[in-house]
Amino acid sequence: MSNGATPVYILVGAVLVLSAIMAAAGLGNTLMAIIVGAVVVWGGYKLYATQIDRKVIQSDARRATPARMYMDGVDFVPTSRNVLYGYHFKSIAAAGPIVGAITAGAVWGWLPALLWLALGVVFMGWASDYSAIVVSVRNDGNSMSATAHRLIAPRTRMILFVFIFFYLLLVAGAFGNIIAGELTKPTVPLGIIVLAIMGVVAGQMLYRMKLDLVLTTVVTVGLTLVAIVVGGLPGSPVAALFNGLNGAVDGPAPQGVFQVLNPLTGKMDPVKLSFLFWLVGGFVFCYFGAVLPIWRYAQPVNYIGFWITALTIVLGGLGAALAVFLNPKVGTFAIPAFKGFMGQAAAGAIQPLWPMLFVTIACGAISGWHALIGSVGTARQIESERDMLPVGGGAMFSEFTLGLLSLLAIATVAQGSGAPAFAKGMAGFLSVLAIPPEAGEPLASAAFVIIVITVVQLVFRVMRVVLVEALGDRAPIFRNIHFNTLVSMLLTFLLVASGTWIYLWQLFGGANQLMAALSLLLVTVWLVSTRRNPYYAGLPFAFMYLTTIAALLVTIYNLYATVIVPSLGQAGREFAVAGAGAMVLVALLLVVAALFIGYDGWQALQRYQERPPRVAQAPAPSQ
Amino acid sequence: MAGQGGRRRGWLQALRDVLYGMTAYEFERTARERRAELEDLFTLVVFGDLLGLPILPSHYALRLLPYVVPRVQVWKRRLLREKDLTEAEELHLH
Repeated sequence: MSNGATPVYILVGAVLVLSAIMAAAGLGNTLMAIIVGAVVVWGGYKLYATQIDRKVIQSDARRATPARMYMDGVDFVPTSRNVLYGYHFKSIAAAGPIVGAITAGAVWGWLPALLWLALGVVFMGWASDYSAIVVSVRNDGNSMSATAHRLIAPRTRMILFVFIFFYLLLVAGAFGNIIAGELTKPTVPLGIIVLAIMGVVAGQMLYRMKLDLVLTTVVTVGLTLVAIVVGGLPGSPVAALFNGLNGAVDGPAPQGVFQVLNPLTGKMDPVKLSFLFWLVGGFVFCYFGAVLPIWRYAQPVNYIGFWITALTIVLGGLGAALAVFLNPKVGTFAIPAFKGFMGQAAAGAIQPLWPMLFVTIACGAISGWHALIGSVGTARQIESERDMLPVGGGAMFSEFTLGLLSLLAIATVAQGSGAPAFAKGMAGFLSVLAIPPEAGEPLASAAFVIIVITVVQLVFRVMRVVLVEALGDRAPIFRNIHFNTLVSMLLTFLLVASGTWIYLWQLFGGANQLMAALSLLLVTVWLVSTRRNPYYAGLPFAFMYLTTIAALLVTIYNLYATVIVPSLGQAGREFAVAGAGAMVLVALLLVVAALFIGYDGWQALQRYQERPPRVAQAPAPSQ
Repeated sequence: MAGQGGRRRGWLQALRDVLYGMTAYEFERTARERRAELEDLFTLVVFGDLLGLPILPSHYALRLLPYVVPRVQVWKRRLLREKDLTEAEELHLH
């Protein structure tokens, strides 16, 4: 590895030098960041990932893949690498890279977020996604849980299910908060309501009326876009209508019904009735997605949503690349490069860069969820082993660019943070292409809500399946899809209404990164068991494992010190205390599960290291 | 020139494939899954004894046997393969 490692050192050096120049010389702008991104994608793929694929994994186009061996026309289908790349990228790209990058940028500044996105994807992200596909392809297309059951320990599968359940619950809570917050803006709801209606229309046109996909796309996507722009025009009658509705809903309690801590400012923010109203509204949207047949609603909604978000992101990316030439003010970074190791946190809270940055940004750098879905849906369609890297690794490098673009959007906006800053930044990029901010900002806001809400509807769908699996045999009522969906929504509602958002997000990141650590551990064990060099997966596993456990412990401390202690016994803060208590329990459970995984993984590694290497049988002498 | 044209066509085809993978391929997969569900159910009801289910095939069912034989192996493997939560179709949609 020593000779092969030199280009990687050069790559890391190039990224660090470019980033340092940007920060020190005041050259923080979108073009420089895009150059860093291009260096990362090209260098990481060509200089590192390809070497691992050829030398360690030794991918071989002549070796039969499960898709070819077990071709059944349903799950195991040899598929073109380009189609599969698009499918896999669409499967892994959601709101995670966007929300993580914009949150980390606000807490620590753009430089740490940029470096973690870049170095994370080069050394860990692609390795996790690609290797999960490799392990599945080399193990008859078995899922990650089945392979973990066989290679590590039977209980590893159960622990994976625990991670999945809390991952889903926490992501629903974190995203539910975002959805409700965005829908309270009077310019946003019309587009989302029309999206829901168009989802039903698209399902009907495609599956019942058997109409052409292009015609369906033009009609449904076009009408949704019109609704987004019309609803988003400031001072429009639609915005006035929703403004009036919010006012009427808030009428009985204008000061809010209870208070929650804002961890960035340290102040107690009121939770208004309109927020809860739109939270329930978001749940109604998701309820249909969770209980109706997938073709009837969830799939067409996702399809329409894809075009809206893709349009916004592609145009926004183009605007970001051209901004430095056409409108330098839009493309210049306005937030500090580095806000300090301890970041921006409420009084009493701690947000040390290590370990918290590494769970705040998950999906754009590394994500366990990708490995989970890659090992089943994608691995069984790999036509040739040579496709594993362009599909698994390539899609992860593409997801990095999504996280990078989100970071650029908030880095160019001086005021505000989170979703509003993202929308404002994207509107700035779109303005470079002559799209006025009056249309660009609602489009970016709607795209953001759409990408979040389409994930949440599927999260509830999976949660109801999880509840059937976990409790269906013990309590028959849990076999009822409506009951399960409502239980999932109730738990999410309590988390959102009581929660302090950033801790919820970091807990979600913890669950996700523990799944990534488990995936990398599984890959490491497989590499050891097949006598391959395990370090490209083993070292990232060790880093993610220790970092995530430390991050969970910090989150427990933050919840205790900044929510439970100051709010205990105070009127109006009971919800916040209950929510924080529940989150502490979840965090503790995740830590215990991680310890079990570490122990079982260590045992498995010992087991496979002690086993003598397999020696090829000498051919029998000919008579 | 022909080489350049061919390369351009190759790039355009690749772009079309990627876009297809991001958009319509999900519909194709869903259609395949729905069809397989119906076919599996039909085969199970008519030839369940192949899996050990105590369903005696009728004389008329046997007349269908030549049409089912080519896919019996695949059908048995799919039905008997261990499946868990992570294989739920919803996980593959985003």
